[in-house]
This record gives sequence, C-alpha cells and structure tokens, in this order.
Amino acid sequence: MFDLEASYEMFLGILGVLPETLLIAITILVLSTLLGVVLALIQQYKIPVLDQLTKLFKLFLRGTPMVVFLYLMYYALPAIGQFIVTLLGIDYNMNNMSPLVILIVTVSLTLSAFQSEIIRGSFLAVDPGQIEAAQSLGYSFSQTFTRIVAPQAFVHAIPDFANSFTVAIKATSLGFLITVIDIFAQAKIMAAQNFRFVEAFLMVALIYWGIGILITKFADRYENDVRIK
Amino acid sequence: MTMETGMQELLMEFLKTLPINIIIIILSAALGLLFAVLLTFVRLKRIPVISQLADLYVSFARSVPGLILLFIAYFGIPKVLPLIGLGTYDISPMHAAIISMGFYHSGYISEVFRPAYLAVEKSQHEAADSLGYTPMQKFFRIILPQMVPVALPGYGNALVYLIHDTSLIFAIGIVDIMGTAELSISRSYGTNQILIYFIIALMFSAMCFTTDGLVRKLEKRVAIR
Repeated sequence: MFDLEASYEMFLGILGVLPETLLIAITILVLSTLLGVVLALIQQYKIPVLDQLTKLFKLFLRGTPMVVFLYLMYYALPAIGQFIVTLLGIDYNMNNMSPLVILIVTVSLTLSAFQSEIIRGSFLAVDPGQIEAAQSLGYSFSQTFTRIVAPQAFVHAIPDFANSFTVAIKATSLGFLITVIDIFAQAKIMAAQNFRFVEAFLMVALIYWGIGILITKFADRYENDVRIK
Repeated sequence: MTMETGMQELLMEFLKTLPINIIIIILSAALGLLFAVLLTFVRLKRIPVISQLADLYVSFARSVPGLILLFIAYFGIPKVLPLIGLGTYDISPMHAAIISMGFYHSGYISEVFRPAYLAVEKSQHEAADSLGYTPMQKFFRIILPQMVPVALPGYGNALVYLIHDTSLIFAIGIVDIMGTAELSISRSYGTNQILIYFIIALMFSAMCFTTDGLVRKLEKRVAIR
C-alpha cells in the first residue's frame, strides 16, 4: 500500500529542485529585508506622504492572504509593468512576465511588511543610552548607525528573521498555483506519473520539515555565538 | 450594462459561498483550540515518549506549508481509513480542509499557550498548593486567568494566520469565494480579474479585521488594571 521504493525515487527527484527553491527563498528574504529597512525608516522619520502610504500598504497586507495577493499580482503586475514600460517608451512586452518574477515580487512585498515591523522593533530594543553615548563621543549619524545601533539591533532580530525565512520557504510552495516549479510542484508532477500522491506529498513535507528544523538550529546557534552574555 | 449585471451576479455568488469559508474557519479554530490544549498539557507535563512526539508534531505543523497539509489530508486520509476499518470511500474536501487546518492551527497556538503557562510565576503555584487547592481548582481559578492576558495577543495573531491559510482550500476543490472567483474567470474568458481578486482581498481583510477587533476587545476586558 505504501510504496517505499517509489517514495525514495520521488525523494531524490524532489531534492533536485530544492536548490532552486532555496535560491528563490533567499532572494525573497534579501529583497524583503531591503524594502523592510526602507519602510521602517519611512515610519521612523515620519516622511509626510510616504508614511501614510506605508501604513495603508501594511494594513492591506495584514488582511490579505498571500495566495489572494499572488493571484491579484499575477494579473496586475504585467499590466502595471506594461504601463511603466510604455510610459518610458521602451519596446518590451511585459505581458510575458515570468510567473517566477511575479512570485518573488509578491512574496517580497508581503514579507517586507513583516520585516519592517521586526526591524522597527529591533531598533527600539537598542538602549537609547547607547545612542546618547555615541553622540557625546562625537560619532556622526552614519557612524552611530553602522557601528553601534545596527549590530545590536541585528542580534535582537535574528529569531524573527529565522521565522521570516521559514515563511518565505513556505510561500514558495504557492508558486505551484501559478506554474512555478518548486519542490511541491515537482512532487505533484512526479506523483501524476505513478499516482503515488500520498508518498510524494509526505516526502515533500519531510523536506520542508527538515529545512524548518535546520533553520531553527542554525539561527539558535548563530544567536548564541553573537549575543553578548 | 452587461458588465454591471455580471458583477452583481458575481457578488451574489460570493455572498453565497462566503459561509463556506466562515464555517471552515470556525470549525478549524475550534478543533485547533481543543487539540492545542491537549498538546500543551502533554508538552508541559513531560511524559517520556508522548511529550517528544508532541514537540515533533508542533515542529511539523509549523514548518510544512498549508497547501501541502491540505493535499496530504485530502489524499492520505482515505488511504489510512481502511487500516482502522472505516471503509474505503473518499474523504470530502471540506473534512480534509477542517482536519488539516485544525492540525496546523493547533501546532501554532500550542506555541502561544506554552509560554503563557510558563509566564505565571512559580510562587502562584506554591501559594495555591499551600492553601490546599486541588490541581483542577488551582488551574481554573489561579493559573488560567493569569494566562489569558498573556496568550490573547498571540492567539489573535494565530487566528488571523488561520484565516489566511484557509484561503488555500480552493486548491483541493472546495468552491469557496476563491473557487467561485476562479470558476467565474474561466467562464468569462478573463475580464476584470484584478477587480475580482481585489474584492476577494477585501472580503478576507474584513474577516481578519473583525477577528482582530474582537480579540482586541477581549484583551481590554481581561487586561490587568
């Protein structure tokens, strides 16, 4: 009933797509963190129009499930892209936007809302006395930021960033719905050939589980190394 | 003219299928809550084998994406049922959705309840014991009321994430609002997709914010003055 040999075959086949999936997740993490920093700074310094837009953006993302946003972007991004491209006068057909790009942009946008919250929180966690001391010692703004605030904020944010990475990896499974081949899509494709659906999905679940455990272990270890007791 | 009536019909379809979403959310939340209580109890009591299994369960439920949990439940349960002698018919997608979403949710909120329990000071336990409270009395009269304010924000968050994950149930064939949207779009050869999905986004947002609002009200009521 439970076919072990087919399971093993499929496990290997699914693993083949894993590096691409991880690459997608890392790209998403990097992009969302960059955007998150921008959003956090906008909120911190209360820049007039952008602050309200950021709040609206976050509100929308808090209530909208990722899959709904993904379908929305699947139809909206090519249209928006086409609009920008015709505005700039470049002769390029944006209607063939790759689903992979749509996936990465959508998940990065969604995750950036969460990342900006994490980053804001981690900055607030740095003792204000540190900033005062740095300023009284004559540090410039960028020096205080890069040498004093950022390292301490980063340590505080590590557990949440590990969680964000897990969210990014889980989000890549949605790519299956818009034809991006991630490990879940690969599982379904292989299962369709030999009808061993349960084995395929169990294998891919094991892989996700393994990744989740590894990430937590690494994040814990890294946090322990970096945190000053 | 036709677009307007088409949209009106579509909105009526949405309202007709929205109860499906709501039922699945409520049932998954209830199932998840019940099972999470059991889970957290087992994880806190440190029973030799079962506690480790519970920890593994929670780790699994939190690492695996909702889409895969849905598919495993939908395809896997019919294969498991014959083993316990319950027949070989297929499981309905609604049941599979409730079971898998409840499973995922229980893992999530067990990780909210556990720190909430540990947040209550040991002195409370000792004082209750020294006053002769039975374990049941101690839990319901002393510990639980102190756990609730700590657990509520996390629980509210978990409910919002549950609502987000239930948006995936259309993938195993349930015709909820997402399913209706997809059917309608394929019927009309793709017009207004952006508007339709925007409306769905608003509907899910409405559900999330209502839930969030209710939890916030509850938080205010149980807040330690």
